[in-house]
Amino acid sequence: MAEFVWHAVSPLQHSFTPGRMGETADAAGVRMAEIRNFNLVQIFARRGQWSAVAKAAKAHFGVEAPTRPQAVSGKAGVLLWSGPDQLSALTARRGDEIRPLDALRDRFAGIASLSDQSDGRCLLRISGARARDMLAKVSSVDLDAAVFPVGAAAATAIDHTAANLWREADAADGSPVFKLLVFSSFADSLWDTLVDAAAEYGIEVESPAGL
Amino acid sequence: MRIACPFCGERENGEFTYLGDAKPQRPAMVALDAGVGASGEQEAFYDYVYLRDNVAGEMSEYWYHGGGCRSWLVVQRNTMTHEISSVKAAAGTGAAAVKASARS
Amino acid sequence: MTVYQPNRLDKGGLIDRSTPLDFTFDGKHLTGFAGDTLASALVANGVTLVGRSFKYHRPRGILTAGSEEPNALVELRSGNRREANTKATTTELYYGLEAQSQNRWPSLAFDVMSVNQLFSPIFVAGFYYKTFMWPAKFWEKLYEPAIRRAAGLGRPSGLADPDHYEKAWAHCDVLVVGSGASGLAAALAAGRTGARTILAEEDSRAGGRLLSDQGEIDGVSARDWVEGALAELASLPNVRLMTRTAVFGVYDGGTYGALERVNDHVPVPPRHQVRQRLWRIVAKRCVVAAGAVERPIVFSGNDRPGVMMASAVRTYIDRFAARPGRNLAVFANNDDAWKTVEAAHRAGIGIAAVVDVRKELTQAQRTLAQAAGFPVLNGVIHDVHGGAKGVSGIEVQLASGKRETIAADCLAMSGGWNPAVGLSSHHRGRPKWREDIAAFVPGDDIPAGMVVAGAANGAFSLDACLREGHEAGAAAAAGSGGRKAAGNAAVAANPDDALSIAPVWHVEGKHKAFVDFQHDVTASDVALAQREGFESVEHLKRYTTLGMATDQGKNSNVTGLAIMAEVSGRSIPQTGTTIYRPPQVPVAIGALAGHNRDEKFHAARQAPSNHWAAERGAPFVDTGLWKRAQWYPLPGENDWLTSVNREVVTVRNGVGFCDVSTLGKIDVMGPDAGTFLDRVYINLFSTLAVGKARYGLMLRDDGIVMDDGTTSRLAEDHYFMTTTTAKAGPVMQYLEYCRQVLWPELDVQLTSCTDQWATFSVAGPKSRDLLRNIVDPAEDLSNEGFPFMGVREVPLRGGMYARLFRISFSGEMAFEISVPARYGDALARNLMIAGEPFGVIPYGTEALGVMRIEKGHVAGPELNGTTTADDLGLGKMASKKKDFVGRVMATREALVAPDRQVVVGIKPVDKARRLRSGAHIIPKGAIVGPDTDQGYVTSVCHSPMLGQWVGLGLVERGRERFGEIVRAHDPLRGEDYDVEICNPVFYDPEGGRQRG
Ligand SMILES: [Zn+2]
Repeated sequence: MAEFVWHAVSPLQHSFTPGRMGETADAAGVRMAEIRNFNLVQIFARRGQWSAVAKAAKAHFGVEAPTRPQAVSGKAGVLLWSGPDQLSALTARRGDEIRPLDALRDRFAGIASLSDQSDGRCLLRISGARARDMLAKVSSVDLDAAVFPVGAAAATAIDHTAANLWREADAADGSPVFKLLVFSSFADSLWDTLVDAAAEYGIEVESPAGL
Repeated sequence: MRIACPFCGERENGEFTYLGDAKPQRPAMVALDAGVGASGEQEAFYDYVYLRDNVAGEMSEYWYHGGGCRSWLVVQRNTMTHEISSVKAAAGTGAAAVKASARS
Repeated sequence: MTVYQPNRLDKGGLIDRSTPLDFTFDGKHLTGFAGDTLASALVANGVTLVGRSFKYHRPRGILTAGSEEPNALVELRSGNRREANTKATTTELYYGLEAQSQNRWPSLAFDVMSVNQLFSPIFVAGFYYKTFMWPAKFWEKLYEPAIRRAAGLGRPSGLADPDHYEKAWAHCDVLVVGSGASGLAAALAAGRTGARTILAEEDSRAGGRLLSDQGEIDGVSARDWVEGALAELASLPNVRLMTRTAVFGVYDGGTYGALERVNDHVPVPPRHQVRQRLWRIVAKRCVVAAGAVERPIVFSGNDRPGVMMASAVRTYIDRFAARPGRNLAVFANNDDAWKTVEAAHRAGIGIAAVVDVRKELTQAQRTLAQAAGFPVLNGVIHDVHGGAKGVSGIEVQLASGKRETIAADCLAMSGGWNPAVGLSSHHRGRPKWREDIAAFVPGDDIPAGMVVAGAANGAFSLDACLREGHEAGAAAAAGSGGRKAAGNAAVAANPDDALSIAPVWHVEGKHKAFVDFQHDVTASDVALAQREGFESVEHLKRYTTLGMATDQGKNSNVTGLAIMAEVSGRSIPQTGTTIYRPPQVPVAIGALAGHNRDEKFHAARQAPSNHWAAERGAPFVDTGLWKRAQWYPLPGENDWLTSVNREVVTVRNGVGFCDVSTLGKIDVMGPDAGTFLDRVYINLFSTLAVGKARYGLMLRDDGIVMDDGTTSRLAEDHYFMTTTTAKAGPVMQYLEYCRQVLWPELDVQLTSCTDQWATFSVAGPKSRDLLRNIVDPAEDLSNEGFPFMGVREVPLRGGMYARLFRISFSGEMAFEISVPARYGDALARNLMIAGEPFGVIPYGTEALGVMRIEKGHVAGPELNGTTTADDLGLGKMASKKKDFVGRVMATREALVAPDRQVVVGIKPVDKARRLRSGAHIIPKGAIVGPDTDQGYVTSVCHSPMLGQWVGLGLVERGRERFGEIVRAHDPLRGEDYDVEICNPVFYDPEGGRQRG
């Protein structure tokens, strides 16, 4: 029997080709990119163990575990608040790693329940001068710069579908940068929705990138 | 309508799912060592499953923040005005340890 | 082809004479200017007749210059963009605009249906209720078509709307509704404090009445002040001006609905742009500065083309430089109408006469009359002379008792002003009556966070509007996000006196006197309603249809209830208003749907192998939100049944696989996970060994089945639950309820991992052979090494790992294999390679369904919210050793009654016959009726293994009746045939095949 080849296929593999979409008269108002090759682990504290989990997360990822809707970025990745006493640890994937829990099990043994979500979510980066206008069409969250500062995060819904949205440091041109984490099975459909929302501003679809 | 989730902040009601009256308490789980339940069980469950007050005014209700942090919330809402006077997390939302007897 | 505009004034107006815009009305070529509305362009072109009324087909002209317009409704555009009932008064003119008058046949000038007027005695209030009561069956065939032909408004295009709509959210501290004097003042005050401010204006241009009325503010003309205010607002980054945006509703928690007409002012929206956008504006505070609507007076002939609201006449003259007539008569009961006299005189329009119900005039009014040389008559209008094309004169009933006829080609009327109390009453608030201005103003129970300013609050002088607006804006900002000073209020040069008004609602006359122009409700209809006992305003509204047209009675409701007050001998406040409800202006369904229409009606979920399935030509079926491959046609297979039969036979004889990733998957983790599952399932899970799976059934607390699925134990503190595809979301929500609300003392954590795993069912007698080709050869997959209901992680060849479950839905030896979802596509391709020696095929949801029915496995149609565990034949699963949800209520008398409908097999007596689900089961020889109905067919399929159609059904005492012949009665499809009740397990009843 021939050896089997395992090609990873993103839920957005066939949804887009990099380049311009929508209005092309001016510079793209919105830039969208799929972020691939990340590990995402849901860390859910057991009863009475939140402080132990926060300590273990700090030790492992090198950043403070958020206790309210925030995304805390560090060298190792992003610790994303995903519910009361719950974290999502977003880190870069090394090669073809398929068992990200193995590296965390000992650290969180007995204090948290871990669930691998690396394939359960699709991650998008949305930036550009009109990113807020475009997101206002799909998100009911107030994303005003002062209300939703860098590091703010929201567990929210887009087109009636659960999603995590957070703001990262602004781009070099001063325009805001948002990350959007959606369920993999919905990704293709939501991509379409996002493109519709951004079309009038002109979209630059960037090549898929790493974390 | 907007509901201020104690975890997420104020959100539009499309993110939430309504369950209903938060007052009825489910009869506790029982041990079935003898293989049968206690007498009067059905009456207690009948009340719990079916009997609801039709409140015109302040009411405490369960809402689920399914389009957000997946927490169950107890919302004090005036059914006449839709005014919300308080929103609290259900006892078991986070990781806090809760003793069976300490439930409200 | 620029057409001469006979009634265009040479100078003035906010129009751009250098940009002529050609358009057509009823096919006639006309020209207007940029800045015109369709209505102002029609006025400039001397077009007075623009439509026919709803019931009597009376000729109608333009009554107003705003969104309260009841008459000048047109069909705008053509083809699939034709839009009925579009107000000419709010339609911005664009080059190439096409408009058609409505409700006329064969032409506007000659309308056959105007004979309805001759029959008007029968078209009175309550006409529908009285005339077409009986017999009911006449409605569909006779009454309704006749009424629809005779009465009605515009025609829908009948085609799908080609344009796009969307919805968006906006957030602010202060929302200001309306950009007249009060609104601009409010926005300036709020904006200066730094508060996030949104100023919403339904017109294309901010300014409100300041665009039409003269005045001086802070030492400059009103129009210059507007320009200055807009420039200041534009300089404030925290202020957003939204024109063409009508706030239509006030919802709970400070949420406001608004409709932005993004591209209604162009023939076709530019590429990538929407036609309309529906806004949900979340505002901490709201200043309603929505102004007021001038109301007509009800007199004989008041609906004749050429009779216009006085404020509208002024707007057409001053804002649009269009002359509604050359010889204007005015009928007024208040001072405001005199501004129209001034405007007309300034524009060089002849004044035929002013008829004022008030005896006393001001010095300024007397001076004007003298200077312009027109008579001022103390009296009322008795009748309006003229024809379909317009007014020729007025007949005045003088206070002295004499009658006088005066020639005029346009009559401006003003019965006073109604503050726009709609938005402030959307939370069931009741406006209160103010005698001094003879109008309703917002009551004390307006929505939280709202303040009303200016004319909307009954303040009609420019100075008061500016002051109230400023104060409201400053207060709203202070109560929300404002930090800095609001600055000073603008001041009007000549503070006007309070509006002097002598309310006159209705003048007795010769002919019909209209209250509601759009629905053809007359003063005598109101009186008739009162005589027949419909005195309450809510009854009046429904009985006469007053205020129920597309204008929602903006200029007729108050007049209607005032007349009701008169005839019923009550005061106006005693009579009261009807309840105000959103939307304040019509909102297209397309805007409410936004992005979510057609194939984007809801977000869709794609299974991991869908792209691969599409490559193989599989059609997809919607199951809940999911798109699932239905079958995989081979070349030459032209009908679905051929493909599905082949897939079933191949699986039963060899091997096939199916993407079942859509099943809900939930990680149930923590030390109390076993206890938790014991409580939610009727059977035991705490005793399940690690590495084993078990089928579980969940009940609701009322004892009815909620869901089923296979749950495995992957570790001491980790169970992996599966749910049905349909119930994945509800089950997750329910389990969170159990965890957070019912049993917070349990240490258990839940995470949905449905999308994390690509899962395929590999089924058929050769499934193990296939797996041996792809699973690491060191793994023992034999019956002993991997028994039925075994679960474990296995390495796959080529550097992958999988979770392997030995479970079966098809009744064959089968496995479920899961890999991280990004490898689902690869797994499908690799299963094809691994199974190639065994003739493996992919199969879709249809074959899956056939095999489960052949095996008598229950699914959605049987787990339908009415069935108990025992009804499904699963009652024995319930544990006697532990408590569980639904245990107590499941033992209720009716739920354990011996005559319950239970799951059985159904097969047609005539083996060639096709079964249909939904057919009712009736005993042989019984008369069909509810009392002989013993159940119904729930699921059917063509079984290639049995060579006939088989089905499952829910039938009374079914398990005792195997072998009995009954009727399958299907009135929906007109079928009635004999079927046999049988064991639901049609195929391999001993179950040997799945155990290998
Ligand atoms: Zn929340």
